[in-house]
Amino acid sequence: MALTSAALALPAFSASVPDQVEIGIKTTAYRESDQNPESVLVGSVQRYDININQFYLITPIGRDWGLALDLSHESMSGASPWGTVSVVGANTQLVMSGATIEEARNELSVGVTRYFDTASLGLSLTRSEENDYNATAMAVNGEWDFNNRQSTLAVGLSYSTDSIEPSDALSFGRTLKQARRNASFSLAWTQVLNRASVLQSGFSVTQHNGYLSDPYKLRDIRPRQRLETAINFRYRRFMQRSDSSLHLDYRYYHDDFGIGSHTLRSAWYQNLTDQFQLIPSVRYYSQNQADFYVGGDDYGLAETVFQSSDYRLSGFGAVTFGLQGRFSQRDWSVSVNFERYLSAAGYALNASRAEHPGLLRFSLLSFGFDFRL
Amino acid sequence: MNKSLLLVIIILLLYSCQTVQPWQRGLLARPEMQLEPDRLQAKLHSQVYFSNEASSGDSEVAGAGCGCN
Repeated sequence: MALTSAALALPAFSASVPDQVEIGIKTTAYRESDQNPESVLVGSVQRYDININQFYLITPIGRDWGLALDLSHESMSGASPWGTVSVVGANTQLVMSGATIEEARNELSVGVTRYFDTASLGLSLTRSEENDYNATAMAVNGEWDFNNRQSTLAVGLSYSTDSIEPSDALSFGRTLKQARRNASFSLAWTQVLNRASVLQSGFSVTQHNGYLSDPYKLRDIRPRQRLETAINFRYRRFMQRSDSSLHLDYRYYHDDFGIGSHTLRSAWYQNLTDQFQLIPSVRYYSQNQADFYVGGDDYGLAETVFQSSDYRLSGFGAVTFGLQGRFSQRDWSVSVNFERYLSAAGYALNASRAEHPGLLRFSLLSFGFDFRL
Repeated sequence: MNKSLLLVIIILLLYSCQTVQPWQRGLLARPEMQLEPDRLQAKLHSQVYFSNEASSGDSEVAGAGCGCN
């Protein structure tokens, strides 16, 4: 964890010209716990297993430019909820997809940044491809240092177009082809508070237009517009006495589907030796249900009336416990990370009366390797 | 009223900050003090939580979407 003189000379939190080539790879096994068979009316009880491989490269180009390349590949298999059935006097039950779904997703992102004395301007392009969903995004980011480089203002704009062509559309009567467009704006102010702490305050707003329903659900009719706003705070504090660093993140989110949420994450970076670091973390999340959320699909409602029984639009809370170990040498580091995610209606700040039977539990196990040339 | 309150908070925050010279930023420059110390982990978290919860959005603009949500 030794510091180089170059690192000391850099402004700490603004985007600076990379002074060397950085390369990182990470492979992750994501495993969702099986569905309780008693909650499944028909279909498979096996939820998703996803293997994720990620790669990134950051390199300087000349004195004033930087290039960032990100790649990821996901291969997934399992089943997902197609709908819910409410029976009077009994618990709501799930209609799951039957045959095992096999899918893959590839994402490529390329970004270039021009650095000036107290500012930077970046442009990035991202392409994500699946057999039934393609997305193309463009983003522009600018940063400006001021107040003796103790303050940094960051502004971002992005626009993306998504194309949706559901599998087996004719066999299941699904929509054949749909599209959506997304525009996003973000503003963040990072402030060095003193020699050992920094605070970032941010705001973002995203507008979605187009087909926002889930084409694989049996009855899922959502508005064709969604406006999302989020306020973020990120606090970092180093404690010399214990040779550790505290991370505290908070986000408040609200959208015009009627969903509001709170997310609080804390991590503790404990240096045990010059090479070895242990990082326990905990994350808490709570959301209320969307205005048009229904516990059981209602086929009596007209198809012009909004409704969705998606568990992600229900009221619930979630807790994630994580532990990461990192071993670092001067030019490389390896890391192992494990996380466990548990969600339930009762974990929410305003506990819902009825829990969606499809709420998730999953585990993440990652191995990472980073090096600098 | 809300804008005035926000302005007061910003001014108080700026005045409460200590001047930290570039050569005094050794602790702030440590890898574990960065806002995102692990680039790939941050992208992974963003993707996983976006897929399983209704909320999204952080201090950076959104990337490309996926069929997961």
